[in-house]
Amino acid sequence: MSSARSRAPGWWVVFTRELADHWIGGKALGLVLFFCVMVAGAAMLQAVISVDDPIPPREMIFSALGLAISFGLVMGLVIGADSLSGERERGTLEALLLTPMSRRHIVAGKFLAAVSVWPVAMVVTAPYLTVLAQGDDALGPALRWGVVLGSLLAAAFAGLGMLVSFWSNANKTSLTVSLTLYLLCFLPTQMPSGAQKGFMGYLLKRVNPIEAVNQFLENVIVNNRTPHQMMPWLRGPAVFAVLVLGLLLWHAEGLSLDNGLPWLGRFGRRQPA
Amino acid sequence: MNTANERKASPAPQQVLLAEDLQKSYGARPALRGLSFSLHAGRILGFLGPNGAGKTTAIRILTTILEPDAGHFMVDGLSSDRPVELRRRIGVLPESLGFPKNMTGLEFVTYFGRLYGQPTALARAKAAAMIEAVGLQQRGRSLIGTYSRGMRQRLGIARALVNDPAVVFLDEPTLGLDPQGQQELLKLVRWIARERNAGVVLCSHQLADVESVCDDVVILNTGTVVAQGPVADVIGSADQQAVRVQVAPQSVAAAQQALQGLPGVTRVASAGGSSGWLRVELDAAVAGNGQPAHQHVLEGLMRASIPVLGFQTGGSRLQDVFLQITQGSIE
Repeated sequence: MSSARSRAPGWWVVFTRELADHWIGGKALGLVLFFCVMVAGAAMLQAVISVDDPIPPREMIFSALGLAISFGLVMGLVIGADSLSGERERGTLEALLLTPMSRRHIVAGKFLAAVSVWPVAMVVTAPYLTVLAQGDDALGPALRWGVVLGSLLAAAFAGLGMLVSFWSNANKTSLTVSLTLYLLCFLPTQMPSGAQKGFMGYLLKRVNPIEAVNQFLENVIVNNRTPHQMMPWLRGPAVFAVLVLGLLLWHAEGLSLDNGLPWLGRFGRRQPA
Repeated sequence: MNTANERKASPAPQQVLLAEDLQKSYGARPALRGLSFSLHAGRILGFLGPNGAGKTTAIRILTTILEPDAGHFMVDGLSSDRPVELRRRIGVLPESLGFPKNMTGLEFVTYFGRLYGQPTALARAKAAAMIEAVGLQQRGRSLIGTYSRGMRQRLGIARALVNDPAVVFLDEPTLGLDPQGQQELLKLVRWIARERNAGVVLCSHQLADVESVCDDVVILNTGTVVAQGPVADVIGSADQQAVRVQVAPQSVAAAQQALQGLPGVTRVASAGGSSGWLRVELDAAVAGNGQPAHQHVLEGLMRASIPVLGFQTGGSRLQDVFLQITQGSIE
């Protein structure tokens, strides 16, 4: 007789399976190794430049932290974008839907696997931050706020990728749309400097979750502002995360074989189920 | 909830699937217009129909992937308004099931056992038992990416059985298999019904397979049930005044012309694709006119100098019924 205690919840079963897929059979490990090399290279470069033209430790910490957050965020977005449309394309979604597992558990398990790269990226980056800090007391706030805001952005963008994937029948479409949305976040930085300083520029920065977190971290780590002073900048990212994750949770029960919006499907070749 | 042993111990075959007036439309296009049938434990039901008849829609409704617009069904006593519990009682091998390439067969079936709520140890044990039951014990620890098509179908069946279902749905299980593979799979289908005492719904275009393995059959055409019942009864309902004759493939058109010109011949239709078999339907007056019907047909072909390669009387097969009912015709 099996006991309920030894029966794992559905989301855990899906999560552990997805973790094994990404980290043992998949690309996540390779990409994290590539990231290790990248962050090591960036740290070394900054240290070398600092010999002749000293870079303040706070700026070096901010730069390395930004790299880790960007990496975790993009990986979450890409894995999320593949999570459901990829299963549809590979023909493996139907078998999942035929089990008595709650659709929310399926989505939750995949979501957790999508954000699993971010903590690894942060763990890899933390020793470099310690070295780059050279004893500066900005390290503590950098680590604290880096973990909190990096987690917020990784979760929000993984959720965004999954939402797009939820509504796409083709993986190519899902990835294209997700990465386009991510790149749109950098559009305000391409505006002329005059426009960036105006009211619209300021509003776009506040609303843009990546830019808003960037402003917060730069001001707290580099410019010695207090977190309390910069708190209004976090409203935008928080609302974005709540909206995306709320929408994902709400939609999750409706997960089905063919959730694609027809007009999205036209942008990618639809594979037979 | 009945296990395989409980179903086998029951004195009378239990009804494991009952569908009543299932209807489904996609926009203005009706896909199913009132499907009703029942299935008992240990029996195999064939689901037939031309492309677009509504078979896959019916299977997806019965397996809770789609919701019907009207009607309801019950599986092992569970109503269709309880889809989560219902999924625990069914096993499904979809037509185009995908498999993850980087899992072993054993891991794959164990994973699904856990998704059905089994603790890990139990899921592993059941997976091993199912892998052995479908004949994959030598390859259970190999990656699915190295499996042949036939092995993947067997793996799909093992996955469909991991929760000890009361009803198993198999959608085109022999598709893409060689003749030996098809026979082995059909043996497995019989084993599921007879040894595990599950009801089996077999969806297939291979009419010979359905005729050989199924106990009952439902034939759909444009969403409507056009024939159903035991296979022998459905075949018997076809026009009895018919013979089958085989000519060389290059003579088919000439034979058709010659036969259609004979008095009393009501219809000549292809009965075997490019093999040259023709099904000749005669009206009762000719067939019962003291002269055997086959003689009438043979004489007609001989007068037209068309060599006869084969001949069968009383030649109705499920294929003939299927073509007749769904109005198939020779080009």
